[in-house]
Amino acid sequence: MTSRRAVLGTLIGAPLLALAARADARDYASAGEVLAEIDRLEAELDLRLSRLAATFPAAASFAGSVRADHERHRRTRAALRGRLRVMETAPLPVPAGGGSVDALRRIAQDLVYAHAEGLPALKDAQAVDALARHMVDDARHLAVLQMWMETEPGGA
Amino acid sequence: MVLESRRAFMLATARAAGVAGPALGLLAGTEAPARTEANDLAILSAALQIEHHAIALYGHGLRRALFPPGLRAYATEFRGDHQGHRDTQVAIIEERGAAAPAARDDYDFEHAPAGDAFVRLALEIEIAAQRAYTGLISRIRTDDYLLSAAFILVDEVRHMTVWQRVLGLKIY
Repeated sequence: MTSRRAVLGTLIGAPLLALAARADARDYASAGEVLAEIDRLEAELDLRLSRLAATFPAAASFAGSVRADHERHRRTRAALRGRLRVMETAPLPVPAGGGSVDALRRIAQDLVYAHAEGLPALKDAQAVDALARHMVDDARHLAVLQMWMETEPGGA
Repeated sequence: MVLESRRAFMLATARAAGVAGPALGLLAGTEAPARTEANDLAILSAALQIEHHAIALYGHGLRRALFPPGLRAYATEFRGDHQGHRDTQVAIIEERGAAAPAARDDYDFEHAPAGDAFVRLALEIEIAAQRAYTGLISRIRTDDYLLSAAFILVDEVRHMTVWQRVLGLKIY
């Protein structure tokens, strides 16, 4: 399996990869590991966005739109688990706090990374196609949060 | 109908960028090329041609001051991203012992409008790039290219979302 760190090491001059060149870069060993990490981060983002929406009603429509996308993604992942014969793992509890826009942006970014870094571990073209499409939705959510940050540098 | 028109638009932009062969057939849905090294290279070349096109469009817009003044920083950033994508694609192609296609010398942006209309042109190339990468990514055979294509796709989505917001289009 290609080491993500090794690949990024050869491409580090590219601006896009400044985004990806972080110390905790992850090489996933299996499709099950990728799907479990996506489940965890998605649940955390949904819960924290709900908390933000409860405090700032202006965030409610965005939170609702993200949640709807994630519900659709979860259904697709459930079908993929069946196809790939991967067991679902029990979700971990979401830690308290972290309701700022910057905290949300970090989780949204980790969710995008989990998709991107996880694609090579899937070893299945249909799964790659599905998770790449989910990643497009998640990258759009991340872009919205980044724009919120640019508008409100201190975060919500 | 909407899907067909989106596909037609994406194909028109891909053709304008110089995409041809199996990658264009794959984007059109008329071919399902096998996952081979040769087709990986065809996909890489197609993606590179779209990057060349985007760099040329942003470069023209920046040189002629066609982007609204408040948006030049975004345009400069996105051009830099596309230059990074280009360099990544070229490095991967050359690492595989092939020759990377150069940028076309006949891009015609002379009549490109200024202001929001130019932002819309930039949005169109970003949408084409995003759709092309999304459509092609599952055909990529090797892990290194799959990984870099994924991160490039993330960049394209950011560019697209920013321009959509600037133009007052729905982003969620």
